[in-house]
Amino acid sequence: MNIRVKFEKGEARCPDAPSTQEIIARDKVSAPDWVCSESYEFLGDEDISIDRYIDPAFAKKELQTLWKKTWQFACREEHIPEVGDYYVYDLEHYSFIITRVAENDIRAYYNACLHRGTKLRASGTEGCASEFRCPFHGWSWNIDGTSKNVVCDWDFPHVDKKSMCLPQAKVETLGGFVFVNMDENAPTLAEYIGADAMAHINKWKLEDRYIVAHVTKVIPANWKLTMEAFMEAYHVLETHPQVAPSNGDANSQYDTYGEHVNRFISTLGVVSPHLKGRISEQDVLDQFTVGDSSVLQGADRKLQEGETARQRMADMMRGMFEQATNTDLSAVSDSELLDCFSYTVFPNTFLFPGISLPMVYRFRPVKGDHRKCIYEVFFLRPVPKDGERPEPACEVRLEEHQSFTEAEGMDPGFGAILDQDTENLLLEQEGLEASAKPGLTLGNYQEIRIRHFEKTVEKYVYGK
Amino acid sequence: MTNTTEPSDRLDVAEEQSVTLEFTRFCELSAVPEGSKRARKINGTMVLVVHTKGKLYAVQNLCSHQDKFLHTGRVRNCRITCPLHGAQFDLATGKATCLPATKPIPTYEVRVVDDWVEVAV
Repeated sequence: MNIRVKFEKGEARCPDAPSTQEIIARDKVSAPDWVCSESYEFLGDEDISIDRYIDPAFAKKELQTLWKKTWQFACREEHIPEVGDYYVYDLEHYSFIITRVAENDIRAYYNACLHRGTKLRASGTEGCASEFRCPFHGWSWNIDGTSKNVVCDWDFPHVDKKSMCLPQAKVETLGGFVFVNMDENAPTLAEYIGADAMAHINKWKLEDRYIVAHVTKVIPANWKLTMEAFMEAYHVLETHPQVAPSNGDANSQYDTYGEHVNRFISTLGVVSPHLKGRISEQDVLDQFTVGDSSVLQGADRKLQEGETARQRMADMMRGMFEQATNTDLSAVSDSELLDCFSYTVFPNTFLFPGISLPMVYRFRPVKGDHRKCIYEVFFLRPVPKDGERPEPACEVRLEEHQSFTEAEGMDPGFGAILDQDTENLLLEQEGLEASAKPGLTLGNYQEIRIRHFEKTVEKYVYGK
Repeated sequence: MTNTTEPSDRLDVAEEQSVTLEFTRFCELSAVPEGSKRARKINGTMVLVVHTKGKLYAVQNLCSHQDKFLHTGRVRNCRITCPLHGAQFDLATGKATCLPATKPIPTYEVRVVDDWVEVAV
């Protein structure tokens, strides 16, 4: 008989399954505080209106409100290690030259000549400059943004060279990431992220990692719809059947922090509650996959009597990853080695601080098309023990029809997962446009990150 | 070759000889250590030799965008960036990889003989 226990809204959890915290508590190398905490809050259960995904007018409002007032990950510090190095970051029609002016001084210049507006650097480029010189008439600016040369200045007596500095957006760095914000009155990045989430991020030391792969692809769906495909493990059973046997999907943990950060912890190396009693620990180990599986080649995958797949996987990961990447993981817990930690920093960044799934995602709307977005996947690895930082990998740009498995640097198993994630999205975009129902219906717990995210969207767009 | 070689084979040999590259000494290998680059004029052509990621590359030292020198540009992931306007070129193929350049730059065969870097221009 199916007995449905009565819970207060948002209190129900996957029945007859250990919680994420219970799974992690059994690990040999115990997890730090930021893993062993919970921060769920019920945020309502009304439908989410679909106009935000399908109405071009909503996208225009987002451009004037949300995107102009939020902190966005523009590049990594490793992209601009030396003075004069620059990286062009675009968001729709906005464009910025992110450049290092001094060792600890990074600036974001609006990427337009103050003469007749030509972009000083092409979009999608990076390099090193001793000056920013317009390719049209040759007006130029020093790296610090002051005017260097107005060609034929005799013809511009009305131009005060001293006041012709390149306008700037705000810049802050965190964990090796360079963030920009167009709002002069924006809160600091630390205030924006909030003390709780800042405490997590500061523990990760992501500044000590480097980009080992960077893959970009245009996805045929709205940017928010695409991001939300990655905000829950609820879809794993249907979308990624090959992963479900070794993923605690229905018993993943979901948390929210302030307005701009949320996360899930999805344990790996454990049986999905959906498949309980149907598969063995050995099956779990056999089907276990990680985002960086190249480090596990040749591993012994035969379990001893009484041994758990999760513990074997943690031990195996620790030894083989250290060897393959010349890193020291002795202080890293089993959970950090294995599990999927997915954090969203509003509006468009995902940080995955784990070791087996060490990604960063960035999402941006495609210029002038609310039905498409640019999806970027970065893989980060710890900088080798000898301290020599490898160059960040070049961006690989896939065509829309290409599989993620085709990208250089992409683990084939993980690429197949991303294909499955993104193959649903055109159907979802078109389905919403075809729908007779004006809203999305969300689960109270497993889809809380989507509700939390959309509440913040509404705050910026409607001022709610 | 033997006396039994067919006429068609002899023709192939002749063609091969006609495209044999003429290498010119560029500089001593020690003058372009890993991570550095060196520019000079050879037979009237501005040539830039770049030593990066364990390999030597030789390209024209002029950007195809506005004919400015490339030798002070940053090299990363086997690409060089023009310091003036940001055009970027693949050192192996010469292909322009971003605006404002759209045309490639010439590349040249490079080899090391007796610790000298030689370039075929």
